[in-house]
Amino acid sequence: MVSLILIIATSLFFTGIIIRTKSIASGRKGPGIFQPMKDIVKLFKKGSVYSRTTSIIFQIAPSFYFASILMAILCVPLGNYLGVISFQGDFILFAYLLAFGKFFMIISALDTGSSFEGMGASRESLFSMLAEPAFFILMGSFALLTGQTSFHGIFSTLHYGSHISYMLGILATFVFVIIAMIENSRMPIDDPKTHLELTMIHEVMILDNSGFDLGLILHATNLKFAMYGAIISNFFIGDLSLMYTIPIFFVVQISFAIAVGIFESFMARFRMSHNPQFIFILTSVSLLIFFGVLLLLERFAK
Amino acid sequence: MTDILLITFAMTLLYIGIANRLTTYIRILVFQGFLLFGVTFLALSQINVANLVFILLETIIFKALAVPIFLNYVIKKNGITRVAEPFIPNFITLIIITLILVITIILSNSIHDTNLDKTFFIVALSTLFTGLYIISTRRKIITHVMGYLVIENGVFILSLAVGNEMPMLVNLGIMLDIFASVFILGVFFNKIGDVLKDPDVNQLRNLKD
Repeated sequence: MVSLILIIATSLFFTGIIIRTKSIASGRKGPGIFQPMKDIVKLFKKGSVYSRTTSIIFQIAPSFYFASILMAILCVPLGNYLGVISFQGDFILFAYLLAFGKFFMIISALDTGSSFEGMGASRESLFSMLAEPAFFILMGSFALLTGQTSFHGIFSTLHYGSHISYMLGILATFVFVIIAMIENSRMPIDDPKTHLELTMIHEVMILDNSGFDLGLILHATNLKFAMYGAIISNFFIGDLSLMYTIPIFFVVQISFAIAVGIFESFMARFRMSHNPQFIFILTSVSLLIFFGVLLLLERFAK
Repeated sequence: MTDILLITFAMTLLYIGIANRLTTYIRILVFQGFLLFGVTFLALSQINVANLVFILLETIIFKALAVPIFLNYVIKKNGITRVAEPFIPNFITLIIITLILVITIILSNSIHDTNLDKTFFIVALSTLFTGLYIISTRRKIITHVMGYLVIENGVFILSLAVGNEMPMLVNLGIMLDIFASVFILGVFFNKIGDVLKDPDVNQLRNLKD
């Protein structure tokens, strides 16, 4: 329950920090950190316009997407404190809830009948497909390391002892940061600022959404960022008490947001054909993590 | 600690698989040199000091400084194009290097030997295969030499695994460095550009009716 409140609180200003960092890096003052939230509230007050080629799927998809992400957030624990939903193997539910939301976004993009949106949908599904094995190998390795199969079990029994386990923590953080960038279509993969339909991935899928629906989709992105930030912060929290947990949580979230902002300021977007290999690197790195776990557990036949 | 350095070394192999520019290759080789310096420093604790200092100096000066600087010089001097130009796409290269890592892990798991340090063995073997793969899929002579340097790093790691018992093997591994420098000198003196016996396209301009 604590994690749910904290994640929702973080989602209010996460994108704001990214935008502010980018403005400062490019020498501007930039909007306040609550500006994206104000825009979303403004969108919530508006009505939606639906194209006549679309069907019911296009109208329900944004709500499904938002709901799936909210439900995925329910699975995320915070250190010692359970998430709202917690059972053995909940990280599988977590991954497939996200996939469910993404599936609805993809079919709603196809539903509009626009060639651009179909293209964006195909790219989005390709990149998610490449990122998924990385997530599962990573979580599987940690499950093997700790002997637990739920988010809460894994994170609360994970503590760093030897040199290799620090390495694993760093690599896992790296993998999760990049997965968060891919899932939210941020800079090295996709540029959220471009207004060229040919080069966009996520942004092109939501070209036809407007008003309330667009607000839901935009806020879902904020929530997703805060959710991944929460998972990353869990790698550092362990089983500390609430007094230390909350400051660590916010420090990790804010530094994650600033890191994303700096990434976006100083990196160019990859060419579309270079994206698959970049994402596949994650799977390779997760395999190395798996190998490190095997080393730690001395599972190699001696 | 050596495990951390070796896992980082394995990650550089993935990076060399998707690198586009020759400068990136050289930077990776420099980084590998420094990693090997660290591994040598930590792993060879039981050999005599003079030999250790010699090996450390060799790794830092030869692997991390002299060879990369000279490679840079050769690339500039011979006017070699700065892109690696592999035969097959980088994505497939990445998959193959990952497969190499997985296969060596499985292979080493089937070997039952108490004297063998598994991490050294896996990283060394996958480095060897990656180097071979880079040699066979890149077009230019200079990338072949770089692939050879990667192979040689692999041999060096393999020799480090048994370095405490047999310091002689490490010194033999260093011999390969000298062999590699002969390669680079050959490229330099023969002024080989991108590929051997590059047909000069500019001569076509002399063709007239």
